[in-house]
This record gives sequence, structure tokens and C-alpha cells, in this order.
Amino acid sequence: MTSDVKVYRNVCPRNCYNTCAMLSHVVNGKLLKVEGDPSHGYSQGRLCAKGYAYTSYVYSSERLRYPLKQYPRGSGNWVRITWEEALNLISAKLLDLNHRYGSNRSLAYNKCSGNVGILHYATEGMFNSFGSHTKLRGNPCMSAGMDAVTYSSGGGKSPDPEAMSNSKLIVIWGANPAWTAIHQLKFINQARDKGAVLVVIDPVYTATAATADYYIQIRPGTDGLLALGIAKVLVEGGRYDSSFVEEHVVGWDSFESYLTEKVSLEEVQSITGVAKNVVELLADLYFRNDPAASWCGFGLQRYQNGGQNVRAIYALSALTGNVGKAGGDFYYFHPATDFFPLNLLNYQGPNDGQVTRTIDINYFPSQALSLVDPPVKFLWIAGRNPLSQDQEVQDWTKLLKELEMVVTVDLFMTKTAEVSDIVLPATSQFEDLDINVSYWHHWAALNQKAIEPYYETKSDLEIAQQLTRKLNELQPGFSNFPSERSAEEWVESEFTPEILELYGLSSWRELEKAPAKLRIGNKPWLDFKTDTGKFEIFSKDAKEDRLPALPRFWAGSSDPSFPLRLLTPQNITGIHSQNWLLEWIGPDERRNDVTMNPFDAVLRKVQDGDEVRIYNAQGSVTRKARLNQEVLPGIVIIYQGGKEPVNSLLSGLSADMGKKYSGSEGAALYNAFVEVEKIVRSQI
Amino acid sequence: MTEQMGFLFNAERCVGCKSCEMACKNENSTPANVNWRRVSSQGTGNNLSISCNHCESPECFRVCPQRAYVKRRDGIVMININRCDGCMTCVSACPYKAPQFDLEKQKASKCTFCLPRREAGLQPACVSACHTGALSVINTDQPPKNTVPTIEGFPDIRLTKPSIRFRPVKEKLRYWIK
Ligand code: SF4
Ligand code: SF4
Ligand code: SF4
Repeated sequence: MTSDVKVYRNVCPRNCYNTCAMLSHVVNGKLLKVEGDPSHGYSQGRLCAKGYAYTSYVYSSERLRYPLKQYPRGSGNWVRITWEEALNLISAKLLDLNHRYGSNRSLAYNKCSGNVGILHYATEGMFNSFGSHTKLRGNPCMSAGMDAVTYSSGGGKSPDPEAMSNSKLIVIWGANPAWTAIHQLKFINQARDKGAVLVVIDPVYTATAATADYYIQIRPGTDGLLALGIAKVLVEGGRYDSSFVEEHVVGWDSFESYLTEKVSLEEVQSITGVAKNVVELLADLYFRNDPAASWCGFGLQRYQNGGQNVRAIYALSALTGNVGKAGGDFYYFHPATDFFPLNLLNYQGPNDGQVTRTIDINYFPSQALSLVDPPVKFLWIAGRNPLSQDQEVQDWTKLLKELEMVVTVDLFMTKTAEVSDIVLPATSQFEDLDINVSYWHHWAALNQKAIEPYYETKSDLEIAQQLTRKLNELQPGFSNFPSERSAEEWVESEFTPEILELYGLSSWRELEKAPAKLRIGNKPWLDFKTDTGKFEIFSKDAKEDRLPALPRFWAGSSDPSFPLRLLTPQNITGIHSQNWLLEWIGPDERRNDVTMNPFDAVLRKVQDGDEVRIYNAQGSVTRKARLNQEVLPGIVIIYQGGKEPVNSLLSGLSADMGKKYSGSEGAALYNAFVEVEKIVRSQI
Repeated sequence: MTEQMGFLFNAERCVGCKSCEMACKNENSTPANVNWRRVSSQGTGNNLSISCNHCESPECFRVCPQRAYVKRRDGIVMININRCDGCMTCVSACPYKAPQFDLEKQKASKCTFCLPRREAGLQPACVSACHTGALSVINTDQPPKNTVPTIEGFPDIRLTKPSIRFRPVKEKLRYWIK
């Protein structure tokens, strides 16, 4: 009875640190199970809980099978249509708008990281090929921190996270790998088995904090000040790496006087909440343990002072001589796709003599609404669920009223798909060819087509090809997208001689046998890409961009009428709003909860289990209150996603940085303030 | 030398990531309501991951009216599915909720220690999946040093003598904001 098991290589493309390589077991065209790929040196044959649940994702009863159309928008009156009808409807609208406005600038897209495979830039490539249109700029995720890195060291690459297995001290500043980057714990534990100490600094007592040797609770968004406090203790005690500083650091003297004159440990204690003796203890740990790795999560840059937080921690890593040191160093984000040509993203469209304009992804609806001549009338959404995740929910509602057509490509009927006119069903990664790299580890892996597309699903690339053909059929020359170019040819074109050299490959086809690793990873790295060639604690570029030249602390605004700060971290069951794990793991209580300190609850006469309304000037959601002593007073925690997503409470404020690397500032998603009240049901 | 296959659970290392639980489902294609391995939070960051403990005195074996349970020479406790008539006596008798009722098949179903993998020289799926080394296979007749027979949150072991050992959680330094 043993029918042939075919094994394919796939990659989990879900905007996760880990980008795991998988082996997919297929029998008679059906995906039966997935395994980690043991030849992938980072994930080493394992997956996270979500990864192991992929068969339930592929064959979920909720998965979209056919193109759908609804009228009116938002009514839920969905009817199944054929691809032919869908493409005709979309093309007719595109041509109508093109004729009406004499350009394609009324066409916009909103696309990001639902699937981070390189061929998923087909959406951007498709829009480029229309000529001038309305593009996206900025990044919802890491841009403030990325600028902090760029100002300090010029950016370029991040150290090999596997090297953490040789650290003596690992300080995790606001990351929760137990839920979001589980493989890293293997390398961290290897170091701990050799005696290394793990410190977690986080406002939230996460699963990672619970496993750490030291957990230090800190007030949200004040990490940069704690780093400056530690730096002050080290510098005043002469316990820093003066030879590293002399050779590699620009602006030391002004930083030193800033630390000694402006930073006071009393203020550090009162603002961060970390007691003076604990600041000294951290300084001691950094001093005594060599090498010491510092890892900065994304959360602490989601503040108005987010970029400065990252700069201060990076500076601490530099002055302790850890930057560029194997087993030490500073970890944040590895911009792996930057090495590739990204031929789809950068596809050159026809020159129609008009200028393409851009919308900031973090302020998409308000900026789209502000555009005139022509206004934005058509929106294409792929790999995103802004109605569940983005700020400015009220503006989204307004924008939707102005749009003549909204098309969403997805695997599931998301919040965003629900308010679209047409929904196109997308393939999963098991159903199309792709190439994946990670924003954390140094591996590249091939994603093969393991099974046929589920029902009538198509990949972003195939959709781009077919829509192009349809448009050109109706109006010859409308798009210059090379619709005949196959997925394999696009993959081939990414592997330039430089890329092959970087990964030590002779052809991308070698990835059919095993993933490949960047060959630049293990060497200590001191060729900073800044103008001075040094690590710039004093950054002239930052100053020119009207930011403090030094990593300085600034607390950001708060809102007295809404006294509770809202944190919206990742849940264990999903990645942002993608949470297919629920089908296997069962209902996730946390999704319906708001967690708060009993002290704040008592003030509001809220008891554990009460139904409460969480609100501010932007909006309101209901949740069940969970009281937990471990949550800092003044803070409430709600996880992302779900039926009534928490994004309606986001502030719409910006982080201090983001322009340099991503084109616009990051979003200060954690600068959100709310009030909580018990819902009293009137008796009947 | 006698053999009793069992698990070692290092509570100090487990972070509750549930990879073991999902790897088990992925490997054994269990339906949505059946989880042979389950990870539960024990509060303040402690977790427990348990499956069938392939007990020395298996209560399931004792109570099953159809004599569907078998205790193998290597200690693994198996259900003979052909004999099980779905009466659920074992489901309520096991202190660890190891046998679960498969609604599709209308039979009891539980952890097999990944027997087919074992025959292929592989570790059970949960053990292979564990990122932190919190789960491993041991012979509980020769329990490793520094392990204990039970930990907080684990059901009473006196009835069935489960084939599992534990490494308890160590004290760690915590600096809360006062
Ligand atoms: S979600 Fe992340 S850790 Fe899990 S399988 Fe995908 S890439 Fe790996
Ligand atoms: S854990 Fe339960 S099902 Fe497993 S052997 Fe013991 S009593 Fe039987
Ligand atoms: S895989 Fe390991 S660390 Fe994760 S929950 Fe299971 S036993 Fe714990």
C-alpha cells in the first residue's frame, strides 16, 4: 500500500525571522506532512508550531478556491466568478480609468509581507509595467530601527545569528524568540550550556523572559535610556573598550560628555523603572562577559523615540567593543533581499512622460485620500491585511467610499478581502516556485512547486502574467510586463554572478539539493559603510536629517485622557493576522483577552473575566479582562488579529526615523493610549 | 537489562512553543479534536508538555473491557484499534488524558511513541521537533541523574507509575518594577 512519497523543498515565507526550509511529503498530489529541512543550517530540520500545522493551512475549509465578486461592497453577497470574468472586470476598470485620466496614476496597490518570496514582487512588477501609477513607500515593520543602524554603522548586513552559540552574554532587548524566532533559542542554549548568561529586558514577562537567567522589567519605550545609563556606568568606571573606541568610533568625546553631564542614574531609574543597582548589575554583566551579543527586537522602535532606542543600544554594543566581534555584536535586521537584483520589484515600465507618485504605507488611506489629479480610484491589495493591522481605520472607511474598485489577492477571506469588490484566490508556497532569504539568518533556499494549485488559485506572478495578457489584448501595448517569462526564468535572473559568488553556488539549481549560506557571515566585520568608514556615535547624517547627532533619550508624548498604554505584540498562534494554527491548536483564549494589572483593574471596578470596552479617540474594541500581576501597571496588552482587531486603537503617530532606509518614518504603533471600562449589560 | 521507554521532560528548558504538539499532529495526521501531545502553561512562565506516559501500571490497560491495550516488551503501550469499540472507559480512566476520542473513527486514540519512526531509527516526532532539548527519550529503568519523578502541575503518579522523568525549573533572577 505504500504509494510513492515524493519529497519537495519548500520554504515558509510568512514574514518571520526564521524563514525555515521545509521538506514536503506529497503522496498522489496531496501534501501529507511537512518536516524541517535538516540541510538548512539555521533551522536544522525543525519548524515552529505554525510550520508543523501547514497541512491544515493548505487544506483549510476556509481557504479561498475561486475568484469571487460581491455587490454591493461589504455586503457579503459573494458570487463565484471565473478567472476570465474577473480579469475582464478588472481590465475594463483599469482601461476606463486610464482613458478618463489619461494616465494610470489613479491606480494604487498596497502590498507587503504576507509572502516574502522574491517572486511575490510580481505585484509591484505588474504595476511598474503600467507606466506611471501610485506606488507604495516606507515599511510598517522595522524602518525606524533600520535607520538607527544605518546612521551608526552604515547598515549593509547583520551578523550571523548562529554565532550567538559562542556568546558569553546574550542580552535580548524586547524580542520574544520563544514565540517569534524559536530556532534562535537553540543557539542561545548552546551558549548557555557553555556557561553563557541570558538576560531579557522587556516590559512584558514573555515566554523568553521566563526562560532567561535574568529578567529585567522596563517601562515601554525607555530601553534607549537604560542603555545610556549602562553606558554611563561603564564609561565613568573606565570599563569600556578604549582601543575599539579609538580606532573605530566617531564622536566619542561628545558622547562621553553627554553621558557624564546629561545622563543621570536617578533619572534612568525614575523613567525606565530599572533600579540603579540593576543598571549597575547590567553594566557589570556587559563588562565581565566577552563576547556579549545584544539583540534589539522590533517592538522598542515602535515608539516616537524608537530609532533613538536602537541607536543607544547599538552604541552600548560598540563601546563595550562587541561590534564586529564573532559571538558578540549587535543584532537587529539582516537586509538579505538588498543583495539581490529584485528584477520584479525593480522592473522598468514604459515611460509615459508622467511621474509615478508614492503613498506612505503607514498612512495609506489618509495620503491616498489627499491625492488629486487624478484621485486614487483603484486599489489592488496583495500579501496584506491593512484593515486588521494598519492604523487610520477611520480613513480606510473613507477611502473605500472613494474607490471605484478594490481587488484583494489572498488565501483567506480576511477583514480586507471582506471589503473588496473582487477577491482572487492565491496559491500557498507549496503551489508555486520561489526563492526565499531571511531578514535574520544568512541562508537562501529554493521553494519548489510541490503540489498543484489548490482549486483555481494562482500565484501573484501568474496573476500578473494573465492580467497583462488580457489588458494587452484589449488595448495593445498597455503593459510591458514580460508575460511569457516563466517563474524559472525570473529565479534564474536573480542569480547574477555576484549572487552566485556570495552564496558559493555555480547555479541556482544547486539549491534543489540544499539551501546555501552567505559566505561573508563569520568574519568579524569592521568595514563600516558610513562616510567616515567608522562607527558613528555622533552622526552628521542624522544631524542633517534634523535628528539628534548623538543617541539621546526623549520620552515621547502621552495622552492624559487615556492613561493606559496599549501594547499589541505578536501572539504565539500567528504572524500578525495570519493565524492558521488555530485550526489545530484549538480556540486561543488570548485572542479575546485584554491583559492588565490588577491595580488598574480595581481602579476601574473590573474583575477577572469581565467583559470590557477598550477605547480612545480613534476607536473601541471589546475584550475579556484578564488580570495578571506580571503586567506593569499602566499597561494593557491585546494581541493582533481576530474578528475585531485592535488596530482601530492605534495612534497614527510616527517614529522618529525611517526615511533614510525605507522612504518614510516608521509607525509608532506602541505610542497608543487607551481607557478601559467594564461593560454593564442592562438587566431585562 | 530491562527496558522501559519513556520521556524526559526538562521543565527548565521548555518555553511552551508547542512545536512538539503540532509536530505530533503533523506526523500522525490526528484529527482536529485529538492532540496526542499537549503543552500547557503552568503559570509564571512554566510549561508542561505531556503525552501518553507508557506507564508501568497502565490504567488504560487495566480498565479496557475489550482488552484492546497491549504493553510491549520495550514498555510502549499500544491500542489495538481493531479491538477498540469506542466505549471511552480508558479516556476517563487515564490520569493524564492520554487516550482521546477520535470522533471520525469513533475510537480511542493515543501516542504510539511514534512506532513507525522508531522502526526507521528516528526519534519520536515531538522529540525531533523540540528546539530547546526539553524533550528526550530515556529508558526510565535507568533514570538519568538529577531527574525527579514528578513536578508541580503533573497529575498524581502513584496510580500508574508513568514512564517519565523531569528536570525541575531552577530559581532565576527577576527584577520587577516596583
Ligand atoms: S512561521 Fe517562522 S518558525 Fe514557523 S515554520 Fe514559518 S519560518 Fe519557521
Ligand atoms: S498515560 Fe494513560 S494511556 Fe498512557 S499508559 Fe498511562 S494510563 Fe495508559
Ligand atoms: S517543543 Fe520543546 S520547548 Fe517547545 S513546547 Fe514542546 S517541549 Fe516545550
